[in-house]
Amino acid sequence: MSQNDVALMAHLMRRAGFGTTRTELEAYVVKGYENVVDDLVHPERGTPIDEDILERYFGSEGGYVGTWIYRMLNSLCPLQEKMALFWHHVFATGLGKNQHILASTNQIDMFRRVGMGKMRDILLELSKDPAMIFWLDNNENRKGEPNENYGRELLELFSLGVGNYTEDDIKNCALAFTGWTFVQPIPLYPHGYYAPPFLFIEAEHDNSEKTFLGHTGNLNGDDIINIIVEQPACARFISRHLYNFFAADEPQVPSWNVTPPQDPDAIETLADAFMGSDGHISHVLSVLFNADFFKAARFKKVKSPTELVTGILKLVGTFQGPQPGIAQYASATQLMGQKLLDPPTVEGWHTGKEWIDGGLLTARVNFAVREVSDASKPGIQDIIARLKDNGNPLSPEAFVESCLEFAGPLVVGDTTRQYLTEFAEANGEIDFRDDAAAAENQALLISMLQLIVASREYQLG
Amino acid sequence: MGRPYGLLRAGFPYLKCLSMRRTTNFPVDIAIGKEGRLYILCRSDNTAMIRKYTVEDEDLGTMGRYGQGEGQFTWPVTIIADSEENIYVSDEYLHRIVAFNSEGEHIGTWGEHGTDPGQLNGPAGIAFDPDENLYVVDSLSHRVQKFTKDGEFLLQWGSYGDGEGEFNMPWGVAVDELGDVYVVDWRNDRAQKFNAEGEFLFAFGKSGSGNGEFNRPAGIDVDLHGDMYVADRGNDRIQLFNAEGRYVQKFLGDATLSKVSLAYMMTNASPNRMRDMADLEPQKYLRQPKSVAVSDDGLMFVPDFGSYRVQVYQNMAVPLTEQEFSPPRRSVTLHQE
Repeated sequence: MSQNDVALMAHLMRRAGFGTTRTELEAYVVKGYENVVDDLVHPERGTPIDEDILERYFGSEGGYVGTWIYRMLNSLCPLQEKMALFWHHVFATGLGKNQHILASTNQIDMFRRVGMGKMRDILLELSKDPAMIFWLDNNENRKGEPNENYGRELLELFSLGVGNYTEDDIKNCALAFTGWTFVQPIPLYPHGYYAPPFLFIEAEHDNSEKTFLGHTGNLNGDDIINIIVEQPACARFISRHLYNFFAADEPQVPSWNVTPPQDPDAIETLADAFMGSDGHISHVLSVLFNADFFKAARFKKVKSPTELVTGILKLVGTFQGPQPGIAQYASATQLMGQKLLDPPTVEGWHTGKEWIDGGLLTARVNFAVREVSDASKPGIQDIIARLKDNGNPLSPEAFVESCLEFAGPLVVGDTTRQYLTEFAEANGEIDFRDDAAAAENQALLISMLQLIVASREYQLG
Repeated sequence: MGRPYGLLRAGFPYLKCLSMRRTTNFPVDIAIGKEGRLYILCRSDNTAMIRKYTVEDEDLGTMGRYGQGEGQFTWPVTIIADSEENIYVSDEYLHRIVAFNSEGEHIGTWGEHGTDPGQLNGPAGIAFDPDENLYVVDSLSHRVQKFTKDGEFLLQWGSYGDGEGEFNMPWGVAVDELGDVYVVDWRNDRAQKFNAEGEFLFAFGKSGSGNGEFNRPAGIDVDLHGDMYVADRGNDRIQLFNAEGRYVQKFLGDATLSKVSLAYMMTNASPNRMRDMADLEPQKYLRQPKSVAVSDDGLMFVPDFGSYRVQVYQNMAVPLTEQEFSPPRRSVTLHQE
């Protein structure tokens, strides 16, 4: 098992999943990179998470985000959860407006269900999703009194991007979605949320002739989506979103019409895969993860708060089974600027370096340092056991190298490595060969891990 | 008083609803106290408590606190009352039993985590026998254990499997007035009946959504007639079986607004309008009930987990003597006598 194989697999699982335990990582390496990618893009082959256990131990809607984080940590099909998070980024829908957690969580469930399928089906489900309908006011989009909010964002932020349609296209797109609404749900009080199903009201639908992107006829919402997914602009737009989310940070979406992609060839490769597969997202993902540009993109992304939190939890090995307290990690991502289910605007979260400012960095570092400070956690115990297995006392340089390996593997710059080594040198040779020695050096290990997860490099995924 | 020779099942109508969201959030179980007092166990993320109510929907306040300290609970599953109205709660995370008096004062905690006889590993259902010994469903060890009320180990039975007397993460338990024990075998989608020493008597139910079938059943109770009530959580219903395990009927929910709900809604114009725009039928149905409790006077209480309330039904069954109930028949008949 070469170090490069391990590092590459760790990269894949940070991006296509939420990190791994060391044991999981080694099992993936044995399986082989292409095989792992193939399994990731075919979640139907894997064993789904045990929904009965989730229902039994976490079964209340208030803890949905915590339960989602539990899914991220424990799903054997982690790309499915990552894609739910991806679409949540792209089709940002705010709980703050609808205040209906069941509608919002049903939307995430929908992303999980269809998120790796065809773009046509994804957009159709999105257009019928009550949380989205309410978020962008399509429940007020009626024949004779259209509301263009959904039609505009569908084209601008969800599928084509600015510059690939006209104002008239927006107006006609909106008319095609008139009457797409949802059944009024029973209100929350006094007995809880009820799911609002989609409703098409024929009497409120505009059946007039419309022209959209050069197509003319009595177009409805389905027709609009069929036209959208055939546009090369759609392929490029979604490909750039996938590149930004999985490969390397791009500028924020509103600037995409004036700022070209950092790797135009990569976007074209993905767009070709999109067009050649009738917009099948799992195929595009397969091309992406097997591409050289992806393999070369290690540590070229700032971890989102969700990725940072789940990565740390994978490192320390907690929540591998149901236990109380998972909901606190929803609060942790919120403190770092990512309140799941409630993105700040329809643009979603600004990513890359915008994940970090002085306050947010403090929240990220404090969280990571706190989580690795308990030596009794399974992941820390696993590192101790591996250091024991190493046999000989470790030089300070070897101790630092081992800790970086087990915490990632993480690549750090010379300055960081120098600081870490200087810290380790204060303790001479470091011995984990027996229980007494391990106990003696446990505090040193914790301190070293705290320094590593507090480093600049650890913010990158 | 022995069991009747037979029953004239005159009806089992819905009676009323108790409480609402903001008070009984996510009720998981209910204990029946004296003089109409009820103890409703509520559990969700990072919170758990006991709401004390009456059958007349009066809120008597809260008892117990979420936590891991003395007298606290983290993942409570079942609540029961003894003959003195002391309250016992199982905690499947802290692997212990916590007891309070009826005023909520902590009076005892016992339980040690482990899989040896007398240790607890995810205790779920608990129930007293007629002598007030305590049966505990030790869910993660797939067994039932019997203790004195103070936690002294008496006996155990069961192991992992799906054969007779075996379990797969069992959940609820009930004991009848004769001392027989009924266990809901959660992951095997069935219930099993044992005598007081753990000898297998019979099982009923299988996976499915038809009458008499289960989808991850959670709770069980038995009334003075020997009728058995199973909280069929995954099918959003309660099912009633006779003493032999024959399916009798199901309860899907018939909720109306409780007294406190009505008072709340009278000062909330917007939700009143929304209710007027909505299809209201779903609001009457049960949502993921995890338990059921029946009182000696024929009331059935269903903590309606997903709707933050308790639905109450009244059993109108009339006991029949041997003169009023003909002998059992081997065959069905069309003959009208």
